[in-house]
Amino acid sequence: MKWFIRRVVRKGKGAVQYEEEIHFGETLTIGRAANQAIFVNDIRAALEHARVVALGNGRYRVEALVAAGLRVDGRFEQSTTAKAGQTIEVGNTRITLVDPPKDFEAAVEVALVDKAEVAAREQSEALPQTLAEAGLGKRRASWTLLLLALAFGLALPLAAHYVPTFRALVKDVPAVGLNAWDTGPLAAAHHTMARDCQSCHGEPFEVVQDDKCVACHQNTLAHADPVAFPLPEIAEARCAHCHRDHNGDDGLIKDDQILCSDCHSDLSQRVAGKTQLLDVGDFGKAHPQFKVLLPAWKEDGSYAPQRVSMDQQPLVERSGLKFPHDKHLVAKGVQAPDGMRVLDCADCHVAEAGGALMKPIDFEAHCQDCHRLDFDLRMPDRQVPHAKVAEIQYMLDEFYAKVALEGGYDDVAAPLNVRQRRRPGQQPTPQEQREALDWARTKARETTDALFSSRTCGVCHTVSRDPSAVQGGWVVAPVRVSGQWFEKSDFTHAKHVTMACEDCHAARESTDSSNLLIPDIGHAGALAGDPPYGCRACHGGEDHAEPGQLESTCIDCHGFHQAPFPLHTTMGTKAGGEP
Amino acid sequence: MHESILDYGRYRYLWVALILSIGSLVAYLWHDPIGVPNGGTWLGYTLGTIGALLILWLLWFGVRKRRYSGASGSARGWLSAHVYLGSTLILIAFLHSGFQVGWNIHTLALALMLLVIFSGFFGVYAYLRYPSLMTRNRANTTRDAMLEEIRELDQQALALADKIDRNIHDVVLRSIQQTRLGGGILAQLRARDDSAQALASLRKAVSTAGASAKADAGSQTMVMMVDFLANQASDAQSDNLRRLIDMVSRKSALATRVARDIQLQALMEVWLYLHVPLSLGLLGALTAHVLSVFFYW
Repeated sequence: MKWFIRRVVRKGKGAVQYEEEIHFGETLTIGRAANQAIFVNDIRAALEHARVVALGNGRYRVEALVAAGLRVDGRFEQSTTAKAGQTIEVGNTRITLVDPPKDFEAAVEVALVDKAEVAAREQSEALPQTLAEAGLGKRRASWTLLLLALAFGLALPLAAHYVPTFRALVKDVPAVGLNAWDTGPLAAAHHTMARDCQSCHGEPFEVVQDDKCVACHQNTLAHADPVAFPLPEIAEARCAHCHRDHNGDDGLIKDDQILCSDCHSDLSQRVAGKTQLLDVGDFGKAHPQFKVLLPAWKEDGSYAPQRVSMDQQPLVERSGLKFPHDKHLVAKGVQAPDGMRVLDCADCHVAEAGGALMKPIDFEAHCQDCHRLDFDLRMPDRQVPHAKVAEIQYMLDEFYAKVALEGGYDDVAAPLNVRQRRRPGQQPTPQEQREALDWARTKARETTDALFSSRTCGVCHTVSRDPSAVQGGWVVAPVRVSGQWFEKSDFTHAKHVTMACEDCHAARESTDSSNLLIPDIGHAGALAGDPPYGCRACHGGEDHAEPGQLESTCIDCHGFHQAPFPLHTTMGTKAGGEP
Repeated sequence: MHESILDYGRYRYLWVALILSIGSLVAYLWHDPIGVPNGGTWLGYTLGTIGALLILWLLWFGVRKRRYSGASGSARGWLSAHVYLGSTLILIAFLHSGFQVGWNIHTLALALMLLVIFSGFFGVYAYLRYPSLMTRNRANTTRDAMLEEIRELDQQALALADKIDRNIHDVVLRSIQQTRLGGGILAQLRARDDSAQALASLRKAVSTAGASAKADAGSQTMVMMVDFLANQASDAQSDNLRRLIDMVSRKSALATRVARDIQLQALMEVWLYLHVPLSLGLLGALTAHVLSVFFYW
């Protein structure tokens, strides 16, 4: 095989000289040894570094003879097939495979690699030695994160706010769109609006307006008469001043004392002369004595309870009943028709279904077993109804008329035809009838007088005689034994079931129904002593609670939206122009 | 006396940060808001304003540090304040939010802020620890000088190897070609260098050369192998071999130091590639956070 070798020799200043030679042999050897076809004068070349075998058609087999390999087109190779145009580098020598000229089977061009080129390649092949060279950058990442945060936190939510279709699309996607703005879970009652921000949030950069609240809460009452008390705290305060949502389980009804005491602690100065309410602050230290609703009646008999301070002395309950609690609660019991019966509070006092107040005492259910309303020794099974005087009189009139006409009433004071039992079919004469009915009327009147004067009614009721009264002149004083004692508070027995009745109500020691058995505000530390206890024995205020006392705030007992006026927002200050 | 970024100005900014932290904490504990503590109370807004202004000021450090001199104090003082007041932000942000978190832009801002701060903590560690390690590792020279020395050692080793044996020359040549210093991010951080492998392959080549004479030489230590070879060859050869091994060992030590130098430099810088982009992400999230809470007030 005949190889054509052309050597390129650079002579300074860009001049190039070619030296051509012919090599005979199957392979073209390359190396630093003297016997190599192409001699490489570089220590980086092995003595016998590589060889090239011509395969014909301008194709060559290039093989390295040492493990270090050789560069083919710049890349290190151990053994490869190359064709004309490709270059081989060993040390400082570059061998370019070329198409053989005529009469040659193979041809190469040999040249020294330019030093500047070597330096440039070293530069480009050098591994990065700093993070910046390794492709790490801050600028692009910074812009990316900045824009991503703005897109996620601003652009998408704004798009959802302004584009209803987009809003509907991403409504249920967590943390996307307006959900990304959600500052926290809504209170349970508002959960249906959790995905509908605009049901509360209206105009951008405007606080939530009350009309959004009132859209649903139409029946919510005002706190006070907005005309009589046009205070900014009432007339202008937003719903959200107290009701702050997005705090999850914390709920919407805030029990913070400050929400009330900021006005009520010096209310008498704020609305001088316009209110009867006393200044009130912390329950533990700055709450006035309770005012209790004592039963009272006007001249015309209509019920007109009086609200008096429990500090008032004497504090007398005029229930209209005579009832010594102590006699009913004696430990050995009371004498009942079926023997001795030990009574307990719950035998008479039962809570209403809601548990707040006590059910009214019912004579038939609670009293009549012992306090029978019988009226005639000869008829021990008969009783008058527990009813108004007139009804009792009607009943007795009718009863004795029937007795008189039937006869057989064994009373020496009665006429003979009343005493004699009438035979069947025997009709009384008109004369006898008149006598019998006269007796019956008198008997009924006497019995009524007996019932009311001492024997029966007077045991419990205060009965007086007023000749001008329509029904026989007997007047029973009105009675009120149950109901709401504190009209401004929402006391409920249901929350106090852990207490014994006597912890608050000193019934066992009460000898008379004029004793008011309702507890007053009491004082802290009372639990160390004997009952009855006032409320402060257990309840302190938010700021002043003794150890062991509950920190009770205003709304534990009092309501806010309780004045019989619509909320100020519905007065039309916004929608209707002038308030 | 040398002042680090931590004890700058007799811990001036540590005290500022402590006063700010304790002040915020006392206010938080004293404050009795309507309902639970959250960003919507007056204290929440106050702490939020302080936090947002702090974040903007801390971001301004990126601008400030590019100005080598300034009327507004030394760069070291700024960095000291940056570190201490940045750390204070963790407390202020949590007190601002009343420890409320959720899947929203507000908590994203918090998370980004925490990532920025904790990456900054690594930066403080790096700035305090690595410069001295770097100086010690370089041993009064520079990386370029070490690289130049490696290049020279390579040439000398190649010339020497050529005098010993063509196989040894081949091994040395290959190891030179395969020397890798630096590389990708992970390679830089792992301080990878192939010099130990190069030395091992040289040992193997030497032992293979000796194995023809004695079979168990492969398991010998290098010195013993050299001794063994020295017995086999002429005095000149054994001397060359010792010099070669010496050279390659020296190169190996140099390469290890260069790799370590690259690693330390990378560690000094790598956190910034998180710290800076995350802080820009925080700027975006903070902007969205502030705008959104007032948009839906």
